[in-house]
Amino acid sequence: MIKVKPDNLQPGMRLARPVMNKAGMALLGEGTELTETWIARIQDMALEGAIYVEGKLEMEVPMDEMLAALERRFQSALGNTRMGMIKRAAERHIRKLYE
Amino acid sequence: MSEVIESKILRHRIENIGSLPTVPETLKKLSRVMEKQNVSLTEVAGFVQSDPALTFRILKMVNSAVYGFPGRIASVSHAIMLLGLNVVKGLLLGISVFELMQKAMTGLYEHSMGCATAARIIAQKKGLREPEEAYVAGLIHDIGKVVMALEFTKAYEGALAFAETENISITQAEKKFFTDNHPVLGGVLSEKWRFPKKLTEAILYHHQPRSAVLFPLETAIVHLADILTKARGLGFSGDQIVPIVDDAAFDRLELSEQDIVDVFHELEGSIEAAQEVLLQ
Repeated sequence: MIKVKPDNLQPGMRLARPVMNKAGMALLGEGTELTETWIARIQDMALEGAIYVEGKLEMEVPMDEMLAALERRFQSALGNTRMGMIKRAAERHIRKLYE
Repeated sequence: MSEVIESKILRHRIENIGSLPTVPETLKKLSRVMEKQNVSLTEVAGFVQSDPALTFRILKMVNSAVYGFPGRIASVSHAIMLLGLNVVKGLLLGISVFELMQKAMTGLYEHSMGCATAARIIAQKKGLREPEEAYVAGLIHDIGKVVMALEFTKAYEGALAFAETENISITQAEKKFFTDNHPVLGGVLSEKWRFPKKLTEAILYHHQPRSAVLFPLETAIVHLADILTKARGLGFSGDQIVPIVDDAAFDRLELSEQDIVDVFHELEGSIEAAQEVLLQ
């Protein structure tokens, strides 16, 4: 899922979360494929915040840095089985963010 | 080093939170409403509706994709009926302490949001009937830190620096500067605000879940959610290192490595959405 500003929406993008109006009512459901008409309408309403569409997140921090920070956070947990499991899970999750 | 701040002084500050200059008016008013015995749905709804900004934020929050009913809740009393009084009290508190948390410690709010979300995901996985209660417990589990950092800024900065240089947890570092640590103070606040025992125990024992006798499962959930949020590096809680998980609490939850990966995955998606609701 990626966050896109209304101005940067492109036809063909598919909504990963419903689009809400300012009152919090859902206008377009999850899974809707955006057309030029819908995009124009979203832009007209000048909705605050971002629209969530399907796709991969662009990560700001490089993966190596993220993994090095993970190692540092777990430095005093070495040898603990359960912490080892949590760390492996975190590492798998982080790697997946960059796929 | 300056003297250790005594329990008596700390508790006195908490007892009189309504008169602290650092505490915003909304929170003081909310605190007065929550202290009442048997506060009714109508009273809480009335309090919220008297403040348009609060009404807007709570409706936005309950109508966001984070909750189960996006776009369907139009009134505060409807929100209370759907979510329960305690959950709404907790959300109100979360909203009201938001700015305070930002001021107290950079990153604490992000950490709290992460912990809240992770707690809800784990509670859902474990089939708890009220996963929103776990969310609220996660949201305010570090409320003790807020009071400590705002009221004893110098001492708390000392504790933060001490944790960093000694490579110890903030909970351990607090001991050098205060006779009570943040879970204890959070527990005192939770009682003062008449939160259910379930919530108080989860706050009080989130670093020593073994001590929870009444609600070990709920406490274990907040304990693990806190650790997972730190493991993922979301926000800042004062800990540079991830605290060691309690064996018994971890085993009680019976989560596999894949389950934990799933929690991280869900956490990633919902955290941003939740933050956006509050930041606007």
